Amino acid sequence: MLRVYLEFAKKSFQKRMQYRIANLAGLLTNFFFATVRILVFTAFYAAQTEPMPLDLNEVITYVCLTQAFLMVMPLWGRAEIAETIKDGSVAMQLAKPVDFHGYWFADECGKSIYYVIMRAIPTFVLARFLFDMWIPLDLTVIILFLFSITLAIVLGAAINITAFGTVFWTLDATGIVGFAFTLSTFFSGFLVPIALWPEWLQQIAAWLPFEGLVHLPFSIYLGKLTGGAALTAIFKQSLWVLIFVSLGRLILRRGFSHLVIQGG
Amino acid sequence: MHALSLYLHFVRVRIQSQMEYRFSFLMDTFSHFCVTFLDFTSVALLFARFHTLKHWTLWEVAFLYGMIGISFALAEMIGRGIDVFPRLVVRGEFDNMLIRPLGTFYQVLAYQFQLRRLGRTSQALLVFCIASSHLGIVWTPVKLLFLIAAIIGGICFFMGLFVIGATICFWTVQSIEVLNIFTYGGTEAGQYPMSIYRYWFRHFFTFVVPLAFVNYFPALSLLGKADPNGSPMILSQIGPAIGPAFLSLTLVFWRFGVKHYQSTGH
Repeated sequence: MLRVYLEFAKKSFQKRMQYRIANLAGLLTNFFFATVRILVFTAFYAAQTEPMPLDLNEVITYVCLTQAFLMVMPLWGRAEIAETIKDGSVAMQLAKPVDFHGYWFADECGKSIYYVIMRAIPTFVLARFLFDMWIPLDLTVIILFLFSITLAIVLGAAINITAFGTVFWTLDATGIVGFAFTLSTFFSGFLVPIALWPEWLQQIAAWLPFEGLVHLPFSIYLGKLTGGAALTAIFKQSLWVLIFVSLGRLILRRGFSHLVIQGG
Repeated sequence: MHALSLYLHFVRVRIQSQMEYRFSFLMDTFSHFCVTFLDFTSVALLFARFHTLKHWTLWEVAFLYGMIGISFALAEMIGRGIDVFPRLVVRGEFDNMLIRPLGTFYQVLAYQFQLRRLGRTSQALLVFCIASSHLGIVWTPVKLLFLIAAIIGGICFFMGLFVIGATICFWTVQSIEVLNIFTYGGTEAGQYPMSIYRYWFRHFFTFVVPLAFVNYFPALSLLGKADPNGSPMILSQIGPAIGPAFLSLTLVFWRFGVKHYQSTGH
């Protein structure tokens, strides 16, 4: 049974391979944004005398990481599967004897694997040379990070399906998705590292699922979360994955029970 | 005049069609407001942590942020048709436009109108108003006219970028997203004063891609601030004229592209 879903993931991966030029353009855009953010942070740090929770080199590394993993962040770009619900072609998929949530999940994972290989890894290599991005050499840190970033990607997929699943009720999910996107880019620490936030706002972020997308895995990478704290972070991420997978399944089940297929 | 009234008619139809999904429209406008609001919050968070940015205060940066935000959001609202133009080329729908008795550029412009960008426009306007009241700027009629000219100049600049992106499609057929670097990336870079950037970066965005004229140079003039890098004041005064000049140049390129259009067929 699992083979079917692996096949779905593979197809999703292959579909993206067709757009290699677009990927190259995306890579360039990533680098441009990284450059702007790094220049801005460099200017902010220039006149700084008091010690900061993250030093300039750590912030630069953090910015490079956000650009490397940008495309596996949830709610970013188009969701072809949500569009099939809107235009009715989802009927073909429903006729197949597979679990729809599983199918969607496999599709998201295929997409993420594509972007890790085609976007994240090249970004790492280039950022190492261009911006002197810091790379951990401690094996425990590397293993913990790989665990945490995998969970972040899975959490992203689960949040994606949950948000786009509302398309059953609205037919055009851009509104709700846009709102969820806003919350996730901000509270994940994507725009400004959470470590630089005021204390009270950090407290709020700690109770939300979004920190599991960026803040937790990147803090492990930078060696700010080690040992027990790193394991707690990974446990938190797993818990959120569980919650969003259940929520997504519930939404899809409810949605299909009153789905009207438009067109023929 | 006929073209204008036809364009306005098109805009009305586009708005009506967007109102069909009313809930989604409201949510989307609201979310655009929130996206950009949190965007600005992150600028404020950086100032809360670092206090100043090389001679610039939070409200001065907010002033720049508001100006470029208003220009970009309005350009996206009006120029969305140019932005989605690749789709027309891929599907061969551009053929239809060529046989109609109206300029192709008008038709592409009228193809879409994104009212939901009002969310972002109002957020940028709000930030701008708060910033200008904090800075205690006295809005004389001359200053107000200069501001409006600068905003229109900014809209022209971004529309010019859309036109370049669309024109390239005549040759490549598919959409080349490299121009995103200058539209989205430009808005990001323009939120902060040009003077904080490195030499090569600053000069590129002044003389090659004239982003600095959208908000940085006009803002220097409105704020009565001298450029810390010592560029002449004349650059600030001619700022608003650069956008329309840039757009006219790109339209020449557009006309050249239309001549080279080969239909993909239906």
